[in-house]
Amino acid sequence: MALPLRYNVRNILVRWRTTLAAILSVALVVCGYLMMQGIPAGLQKSSANTGDPRNVMIVRKGSTAESSSQVTRAQFRLIPYLPEVAKDPQGRPLVSADTLVLISLPRRDAHGEANVSLRGISPTGMQLRPQAALVDGQDRNGKITASRWFVPGKREIVVSRRLAGRFAHFDIGDTFKTSGQELTVVGWMDAENSAFDSEIWMDSDEVRSIFDREHYSSVLVRIADGASIESFTNRIENDKRLPLRANREVQYYESQTQTAGFFQIMGNFLARMMSFGAMFATMNTMYAVVGARVREIGTLRVLGYRRRTILASFVVEGAFLSLIGGVLGGVLALLLNLIDLSFGTMGFESFSEVVVRFRVTPLLLGKGLFFAIVIGILGSLLPAIRAARLPVIAALKSV
Amino acid sequence: MTTATFILKNALRNKRRATLSVLSVAVSLFLVVTLMVGLREFTVPPEDIGASLRVVVRSKISIANFLPARQRQIIERIPGVSVVSPFTWFGGRFKNEESLTFAQFAMDPKQLRPLFGEVHMSDAEYEAFENEANPTACIVGKLTADKYKLKLGDRITLESILFSTPVELKIVGIYSGTIDDRNMFFRQDYLDRTTGNEGWVGTWWVKVRSAADMQQVIQSIDRAFANSSAEVRAETERAFQLSFVSMLGDVTLYVKVTCGVVIFTLILVTASTTSMAIRERFRELAVLKALGYRRRELFAFILAESFGLALFGALVGIGGAYLLYTFTPIVSRATDGLVLGFEVTPRIMGFAALVAAGIGIIASVGPALVVSRVSVVDGLKTLD
Repeated sequence: MALPLRYNVRNILVRWRTTLAAILSVALVVCGYLMMQGIPAGLQKSSANTGDPRNVMIVRKGSTAESSSQVTRAQFRLIPYLPEVAKDPQGRPLVSADTLVLISLPRRDAHGEANVSLRGISPTGMQLRPQAALVDGQDRNGKITASRWFVPGKREIVVSRRLAGRFAHFDIGDTFKTSGQELTVVGWMDAENSAFDSEIWMDSDEVRSIFDREHYSSVLVRIADGASIESFTNRIENDKRLPLRANREVQYYESQTQTAGFFQIMGNFLARMMSFGAMFATMNTMYAVVGARVREIGTLRVLGYRRRTILASFVVEGAFLSLIGGVLGGVLALLLNLIDLSFGTMGFESFSEVVVRFRVTPLLLGKGLFFAIVIGILGSLLPAIRAARLPVIAALKSV
Repeated sequence: MTTATFILKNALRNKRRATLSVLSVAVSLFLVVTLMVGLREFTVPPEDIGASLRVVVRSKISIANFLPARQRQIIERIPGVSVVSPFTWFGGRFKNEESLTFAQFAMDPKQLRPLFGEVHMSDAEYEAFENEANPTACIVGKLTADKYKLKLGDRITLESILFSTPVELKIVGIYSGTIDDRNMFFRQDYLDRTTGNEGWVGTWWVKVRSAADMQQVIQSIDRAFANSSAEVRAETERAFQLSFVSMLGDVTLYVKVTCGVVIFTLILVTASTTSMAIRERFRELAVLKALGYRRRELFAFILAESFGLALFGALVGIGGAYLLYTFTPIVSRATDGLVLGFEVTPRIMGFAALVAAGIGIIASVGPALVVSRVSVVDGLKTLD
């Protein structure tokens, strides 16, 4: 017969002084694990959230990234007239010729510089990217200021709200010089945690002229409702005049997983190392728990409970103890999740600053709790074996 | 029995607990040392021998922007400049590797020897590389050659993440002697022809005549292209290296916060272990009090015990990290050759030891306070 769970639960609560440290250390490890995995989760979310299923991205054949792609103006001119291309209410084709440039800018905290992705887009470019919307920003004095889109043909930029917090000269109304030209910040945008949150936007032809670029980097096309994406990509693929390749935009961003992969591996390694500390704490606590209950264990044995029941009972107690810790850690991480924490570093794909929001997903929470239970079971196994092996008579005699 | 043996006996009377607390200190400090060494390797990269005389010139817009090849003559004429070579990162992927595992640079082979005196290669290899009859010639560092079992005469094709056309190269030399013997060098003029990117280079690497010329050369180069269509930023090789650190962004914070959480958890665990050990011995301590031991002596007993265990753990953890990282290639193997140096410096070891000492002290404060407050009678009355 198994011992009732209530027995273990009450034991933990009664001896909270002994168990508190173990619970807290598991909580810290689980919270640490969630925070560390919150970064790759944010990066994954950002790749998954970028792009519109109706959009197709065109790059040069043979290039895997936008950064190594070139689309000439002659090639670009053919694209808007292809039959599958959607049109906006004014009848303009929904096509954006993008020019991607990296510029090095000083950080807000004056700690050096970092690369920022500057994307030149056509005037229809924002319609193709509905995630990105203007939000109210701040001017240099911290006053809330309304944003507006850049005027095509002018040297104006709209910066992501998340980048604005990290770089100097990104307040509305600020100007800065790059490539000998002065750019003015006219707005902040929020792109719903997508990859566009790590970009600044301006008029594509202005970008080409300022940075002396003959060609565009890529072309983004909205496919009309009812038209087939496959027939469009095939058309591009087979057109002899166009040495280009078309892919679903969503697919392009989904394949950018290198940065996330790095942080995932790093976080897993660190969390595993940290869990040793929590495991030792659980082990110590459980040994103390067993030690303090030697007579009780003897009594249980006399009452007819079997060794393996005792063993199971203590393992369950250890697992429960660290589950409490796990829940506590999860709650702590969720609280941190509520405040809008962002993390920025150099992305391996874009070679520029990538900013993401920490994300504690339900899947991560589940993994964290599982992690806690594993710590508890491993930590309580040896003490439980000791409890199960106690000789009955000696146990009863012990003080 | 001396006081010392008394403390030692006490510390080891529950051997299991002593072992566990030593181990938890050891594992945690091992992790702290690993994190700090990793952070240091990223933020304070090792300096190459000839670096003190080298200047790197990049586009002022960003390192990803090309510079016009015509700038070379202008830089060469600046007083104090002795060598100038283009230096263009190719961003090539080797065979089926998913990521970039070593860097390739296109440069002027004739300038290799004067620019990087520390490159060790036979004269025959130098000649083969400098010979214009070998347009596809390249040289690779020994580490990369060993890793991919490359030998002289091998042909390799590299696809670039930056340029549209792949390059096909033939290995004519394998070098060693630099701080990072992984890189590959090939001809800039070959890159120009293959990719059709003629007239553009990634960066200029410049050698100055003497350290005294350094500042003046840097200023002259910056000034020479000010208000031109391709403004530049010239900086020492060291400053150039360190400019990548700022791009890491919040990674530094990430590592520091992780260290903080590890240390905090450790304090918690150690403090609770110590108080567990003391609680068991409440009666004994009361007896000692009754025998005439004073509070501060009891406190010293507790402190010495917790301090000793923490320091022993530190010895195991820090010493283990030192031995592991100094005498085995574990890091380079685990990261597949990405991280070469992993030096456990005395400073980092000292910091970790201080943390251990601090933990030993903090952990003893709580139990010591309880013991000193309790009267002899109450202490004797306690049951386990």
